[in-house]
Amino acid sequence: MSQAVHEFTVEALDWKPYVKPVDVETATPEQLDALKITPSNKKISDYVLVLANEPETLKERTPLFNDIMYSEGGLSRGGREIGALAASFVNRCIYCASVHAARYIQLEKRPEVVDEIYGGGLDANLPEFEQALFNFGVDLTAHPDNVGAYQFYHLREIGLDDLQILDLIHAVAIFGWANRLMHTLGEPHRLD
Amino acid sequence: MTAPSTNDVIDTVLGLDRFPDLQALRDQRAKLKHLSQTSYQAALRPADPRNFSYALRAALAARMAALWKSQELSAHFRALLESEEEGPALASITNPGSAADTADPRLQAILAHVDLVTLSPKEATRANIEKLTTAGLDDRDIVTLAGLIAFVNYQVLVVAGLKMLRDN
Repeated sequence: MSQAVHEFTVEALDWKPYVKPVDVETATPEQLDALKITPSNKKISDYVLVLANEPETLKERTPLFNDIMYSEGGLSRGGREIGALAASFVNRCIYCASVHAARYIQLEKRPEVVDEIYGGGLDANLPEFEQALFNFGVDLTAHPDNVGAYQFYHLREIGLDDLQILDLIHAVAIFGWANRLMHTLGEPHRLD
Repeated sequence: MTAPSTNDVIDTVLGLDRFPDLQALRDQRAKLKHLSQTSYQAALRPADPRNFSYALRAALAARMAALWKSQELSAHFRALLESEEEGPALASITNPGSAADTADPRLQAILAHVDLVTLSPKEATRANIEKLTTAGLDDRDIVTLAGLIAFVNYQVLVVAGLKMLRDN
């Protein structure tokens, strides 16, 4: 039996659900239809199979997530990953953080940014651009009722235009969604 | 209050018809705007609501929006609840802190979970899922509830961020 992980780590992790994933063999046509949108060239994860218990929601959520994180133009993909990481650190979604830390490093080739976030947590001391993205992600996640002129000014100061700010808002918000599924419906384990 | 329509809920609650620049900005991300709205339908008004009635979904959503002091969204969801026949019976749920009002253990467990995962998702553990199971929720109910909570919190954050853009 592998060990559950309760501290942030950059290592790749497994995720074990608390509720039963859908069995592809006995899935309903609606569930199969919702699952079809996920990459068919690899094994469907337990996480997606858990979400397939609610196929109507999953069917909208998968393309929404992909569009928010991967659409053309606007904020860089790495910048969106900083938003994802900030949300995941506030919400302590250890699995989400591990996946998106790896993705950030893969995209930006700057492991030192991730190292600082893992070392400093919410108090991480980052280069100006990444700091502004990270702080906004923390503020919007922790205090959505208290985001205003101050946050807006800091995003403008690093040169973000309206579309880039909109992309950052969505990246943080979709992790407000993802963290609340991944962190509450299962837990990360060390890979066997 | 009108029944839910095909109008974009986020545009509506923020009154963006009076802010054409921000509407045009949102339309630069038309696909995700559309999918945010279809996700709203799937979370609040799914074809098969199963063990979570439309009224209960609206009441829980109004409560979550109120927990984050998102007045625009809590007003929207309260109006949605009022359009349902069972609306009046569930109206007290929309008020955070009302958990003690209900004697129904299933509803009590649902409200406790909604409050925890909305405000302090980091505190959630396996034990919280077990409490839902004990209260009679099945696996699909648990995923339904998690999906509703997750969606409404997403919407709260998007509305908060857009409001920042609208007002600055």
